[in-house]
Amino acid sequence: MPGVSKKMDHAVENGAAGTSGETQGAGPDNGLTPTLQAHIGRHVRAVFDEVAREPIPEHLLRLLKDLEQSGDK
Amino acid sequence: MGSLRAFGVSLCGDKERADDLVQETLFKAWNHLDSFKEGTNLKAWLFTILRNTYFSERRKRRREVEDADGSYAARLATHPAQHGHMDMQDFRAALVRIPDDQREALILVGAAGFSYEEAAEICGCAVGTIKSRVNRARNRLAGMLGLEELDNDSASEGLSKTA
Repeated sequence: MPGVSKKMDHAVENGAAGTSGETQGAGPDNGLTPTLQAHIGRHVRAVFDEVAREPIPEHLLRLLKDLEQSGDK
Repeated sequence: MGSLRAFGVSLCGDKERADDLVQETLFKAWNHLDSFKEGTNLKAWLFTILRNTYFSERRKRRREVEDADGSYAARLATHPAQHGHMDMQDFRAALVRIPDDQREALILVGAAGFSYEEAAEICGCAVGTIKSRVNRARNRLAGMLGLEELDNDSASEGLSKTA
C-alpha cells in the first residue's frame, strides 16, 4: 500500500494529530485539500447509505416487534 | 436500524453476518436495558454493542482462522469494475482494504453521523485517536485511489487510476 508508511502511522497515533481540526477535519494535519476530503466523504456516505436504505430483513423486524411486546408486560 | 445494519456490513463485509450481528445486538440491548442510561444516546449505545460483539467474536475466530482479514478483503475486492460505476467500485474495494480501526472511525464520523466525541466513546478510545484514524483513513484512500495527483483539480474524475 503506497503512500503511508507504518512508521508515520505511529507518529500520528502518538499525538501529532488531535491538536487541530474540528468536525469535517479540514485541518492541515492530513494534507488533503477540502475538495478531496469532500470527495472522499461523499463516497463513504454513498457506500454506507446504499446499505442503510435497504429494507430491514423481515426476521429482524419481527424480532424487534417481539421484544417490544415482551417489554409491555 | 438501517444504519446499524450498514455499520455491521462495513465491519464484517457480509450482509448475512451483519444481520446476525444486528440480531445479537438487539438481544443484548434488550437484556441489558437497565444498564442504558436514560437520556444518553441510544443510537451510540447500540453501535457500541454491535462493534464490541463483532470484535470479540473476531478475536475468538482469529485464533482459528489466521487470515480472516485477507480473505475478507479478497472476497469484497474481487467484484469486477463495471463501466459507469468504476469509481464506486474502486472506492468500495479500497475501503475494505484500509485497517479495520481506520475504516470504523471513518464510517462512524463520515457516514453514520456521529461526532468525534461519540465515535471515541463507541470505540472506547480517545478523541484524538479517532481524529487521527479518520485522517489516516482519508490519506490512505487518497493514496490507494491515486487521488493526490488530482488534488486541486476536479477530484471527481479519473478515479480509475487505482494504486
